[in-house]
Amino acid sequence: MVTEETMSTVLQSLSTELAAAVESAGRAIVAIHARRRIPASGVHWRPGVIVATHHTINREEGITVTLPDGTTGPATLAGRDPSTDLAVLRLSDPGLPTASPRPDAPKAGELVIALGRPGSSLTASWGVVSRVAGPWRTWQGAEIDTLLRLDLAIYDGFSGGPLIDSGARVLGINTSALARGAPLTIPVATVERVVTELLERGTIRRAYLGIGTQEVRVPQSLARTLDLTSDAALLIVSVEPGGPADRDGVLLGDVLLELDGAAVRDPSDVLAKLGGDRVGRPIAARVIRGGQVKTLQLSPGERPKPQAA
Amino acid sequence: MSAPITARLARELAAVVDRLRRATVQVRTRGAGMGAGVLWRAGDGSRALVITNAHVVRGNRTTIELSDGTVASARAVARDPKRDLAALEFAADRDLPYAVGRESPPLEVGELVIALGHPGGLVGAATLGIIHAASERDGRTPRWIQADVRLAPGFSGGPLADAQGRLIGINTMVRGGLALAVPAATIDAWLRGSRALVSS
Repeated sequence: MVTEETMSTVLQSLSTELAAAVESAGRAIVAIHARRRIPASGVHWRPGVIVATHHTINREEGITVTLPDGTTGPATLAGRDPSTDLAVLRLSDPGLPTASPRPDAPKAGELVIALGRPGSSLTASWGVVSRVAGPWRTWQGAEIDTLLRLDLAIYDGFSGGPLIDSGARVLGINTSALARGAPLTIPVATVERVVTELLERGTIRRAYLGIGTQEVRVPQSLARTLDLTSDAALLIVSVEPGGPADRDGVLLGDVLLELDGAAVRDPSDVLAKLGGDRVGRPIAARVIRGGQVKTLQLSPGERPKPQAA
Repeated sequence: MSAPITARLARELAAVVDRLRRATVQVRTRGAGMGAGVLWRAGDGSRALVITNAHVVRGNRTTIELSDGTVASARAVARDPKRDLAALEFAADRDLPYAVGRESPPLEVGELVIALGHPGGLVGAATLGIIHAASERDGRTPRWIQADVRLAPGFSGGPLADAQGRLIGINTMVRGGLALAVPAATIDAWLRGSRALVSS
């Protein structure tokens, strides 16, 4: 076969830079053995702390981690949060560099690489950030600081691996479990926040009221009579027996107008008022009951821990 | 707004794809659809070979078409169904734009790759991707090069090349969305060890 001298071109430089970014970022990526068959990926985020995805950890005991040099050792689960799909493991003296996070969000169209380690070898897939938007809520109510949707192929080991830019800086942790299998990245700010709380408490505290709601329109005549500024509200369609709202006198059929002085038009508006700092702190609720507006004082409780997967 | 880097990138990519396209042929076998093949200079260069996948060639005779439109009859001179490789020989009356190989360095995860083929009869289509996983372990040639590049039927037997258009493998199959290519080193070793090729 014919061979040829190498040429220095922009195309070759791009190729070399991508490979260098993969090599550099790959030194902080481990394989996590916490399920059957294919291992998942994890990122050495802080010294001795590995960030992974919740949905790829199917057991809480006997978890092992394979390092980039191929050695495997035990790791302990420090905490997990199904609502952000993040989990944190502790590893004694891994002797690895930590990831270099990039705090600012990428722009749509930015060239990115998703890395994984589904076993001993590092894997990569490339593409672009397809959509960047403001904060959003997962279906379990957790707030994610920035929406980062990706246009790239998902292979084994995608979840729990980092999304990196061409300079090997980490833009977040990848998961396929928060958007019906579509590739998505949990941004650095969210990861930092969740990791800190999981290391402190092992779980993410979330306040809850024990109500189910549904969007409803207040009839115009009633809205006029009650002098409401908007006709959008939430109908209480379920009240958990013995739950915080039940204890504080919320009734099935109440129409919720405001929580903590802010109008609620969507069930996510209720979740937005129920952060971890709200547990045990009274919150005012304005409701329509029997054609009259009433104000109730509610004391949110702490959301019970979900059953382990 | 000018984008000098992007413009240079586009120009260079077009040039690399153009060179690669000249080294890629169409392989047509009745009843087997169309595949791709790579012009390969064997040994002293006295014989014109096309390397393709065994699954692209049915029987011993096939028709190939070069990128300049030249149509030639080719004969299968070696075949290895296990590695999914076939070598075709044809009479060439001039020097051909043979594929250029890459001897070194070893492939790195993340480096750019270009695949060429004829998906759905679209002749000479190119697609760009990266190396998905390290292909070399302990200096041994692996069974497959794994690439994150989108292939379709019609890419079979065609070249997978690096950022400079140097041949690194022959695209052979897609598994779980991942492109698998037979490494060029495997083909080299296979051709050298192929008795059928030597005796014919």
